[in-house]
Amino acid sequence: MFHRRSIGALVSMGAVLMTLAGAQAFDETRYPDWSGQWKKPPGIGNQWDQTKRAGRAQQAPLNAEYQAIFEASLADQAAGGQGEDIRITCVSTGLPRMMTAVRPFEFVVTPNVTYINSENNQPRRIYTDGRAFPKDEEPTWPGYSIGKWLDTDNDGHFDTLEVETRNFKGPRVFEATGIPLHKDNQTVVKERITLDKASPDILRYEITTIDNALTRPWVVMKTFHRERDVLWYELECGENNNHVVVGKDFYFLSADGYLMPTRRDQSPPDTRYFKTSK
Amino acid sequence: MFVRGSIAIFALMATLSLTTGAACAFDATRYPDWSGQWRRPAGVGTQWDQTKRSGLAQQAPLTPQYQARLEASVADQARGGQGDDARVSCITAGMPRIMTGTRPFELVVLPAITYVYGEGNMPRRIYTDGRDFPKNDEPSYMGYSIGNWIDENQDGKYDVLEVETRNFKGPRTYENSGILLHQDNQSIIKERFYLDKANPDLLHIEITSTDHALTRPWTVVKTFRREQNVQWAEYDCAESNNHVAIGKEYYFLSADGYLMPTRKDQPPPDPRYFKTGK
Repeated sequence: MFHRRSIGALVSMGAVLMTLAGAQAFDETRYPDWSGQWKKPPGIGNQWDQTKRAGRAQQAPLNAEYQAIFEASLADQAAGGQGEDIRITCVSTGLPRMMTAVRPFEFVVTPNVTYINSENNQPRRIYTDGRAFPKDEEPTWPGYSIGKWLDTDNDGHFDTLEVETRNFKGPRVFEATGIPLHKDNQTVVKERITLDKASPDILRYEITTIDNALTRPWVVMKTFHRERDVLWYELECGENNNHVVVGKDFYFLSADGYLMPTRRDQSPPDTRYFKTSK
Repeated sequence: MFVRGSIAIFALMATLSLTTGAACAFDATRYPDWSGQWRRPAGVGTQWDQTKRSGLAQQAPLTPQYQARLEASVADQARGGQGDDARVSCITAGMPRIMTGTRPFELVVLPAITYVYGEGNMPRRIYTDGRDFPKNDEPSYMGYSIGNWIDENQDGKYDVLEVETRNFKGPRTYENSGILLHQDNQSIIKERFYLDKANPDLLHIEITSTDHALTRPWTVVKTFRREQNVQWAEYDCAESNNHVAIGKEYYFLSADGYLMPTRKDQPPPDPRYFKTGK
């Protein structure tokens, strides 16, 4: 994982554009300056609700069935397993978890799409061109996001981006402890993104998750801090990943390159397809 | 891997912007229209030089040492190994290989930066704000790219983006046959992006690799065709990746979740760290 310098105050992440095709006039002064790099505040971990500790302390409004799945996840993790968290395979965490911003992210605001580039995820596209949700799209981990710019104080400038995201696949969890979303993947995630009125270097990020694993919509308010002197890292999840998954079993790679158990008395992988055994 | 609808002609990939920081005015009409989605032409595979077959037929101008490595890689792959291709671990291919365009890509042109969004890759940043290469940046698979817009025919509009990329880490290969770049990672990659003069729906990227594994700079011209009716797929390499690397050995996962050998008489993984063996 390495870092690379990027652009500072003049960068284009918050830039607002005119289409070259010339079909749409676009007033760039109407859009907020979200340039730079956004990071979790100091001291905030990777929990879903930044105001609470991870795990049970999140008090996720899970229904009884999914609370039991969550409890089993915690128990499995305590025994050395991964529980419901499959991030060690490097598969995308998808929404809403990717907006935990384990790694810093940037916005690339353009007239029809706002991109969210983060160090450990592929770019997320939020379409702001007025389209409706497509009817025949196949589901994805980050879902399909449609956004709308708002001028909430009627001063002629957009200050808030509201986003709705649907059409997911799974499994997905809110955080590493394994707080699950429903396996039917009918999740609807609503986001409201705006700068703090008192400090333009603080981003307020409200996320409401509506999901059949929950007894009510779960609303959290995340805060991110702007870094203007930007450094980007190249984070390759697959690089130096010492987790090995064989079927439904998780193992660990030792420093000398051998498989190790991740739990007490775990058996090595079944080698039935090999002619010889060591 | 799934498909999602995206923007068509009016998309913002080629859009040009004014920074909201308002530090520099930007003339949107000066930039070429590279909007849409760029794909390899029909019938072209993932070989480095699109005009030749992959492997030895590429006639890469390798030094004797690296020619021997290529031949060993090709021989290992013929036996079921991976040779010098580490892509099965889902680590990024890095530069220059990512510009093979194995999956479609998008170009988002902004005043200070051009993004290359390839399906399955993190964003590549090409800085066009006049900066120099940083002196203390850590190396990365993608390298650090600096671009310069050129008005070649002096008609007041840019038509060529010249890019130089340095500061790599490795190992990196040109293609999956395992044509290696030198392990000193001192590669310099120069690119020229431009539209075909007769057909604006064809993009040419001339790529010149200067590397100590080569006896001379290796120049190839790649061609991509524009797709106006854009659909983006979610390509998550780690999803359904049936390759398992343990130490220096590669194995395969069977459909029923067991390890399988990838070459004749390959022994199973050494279970020395397990109390019990199956």
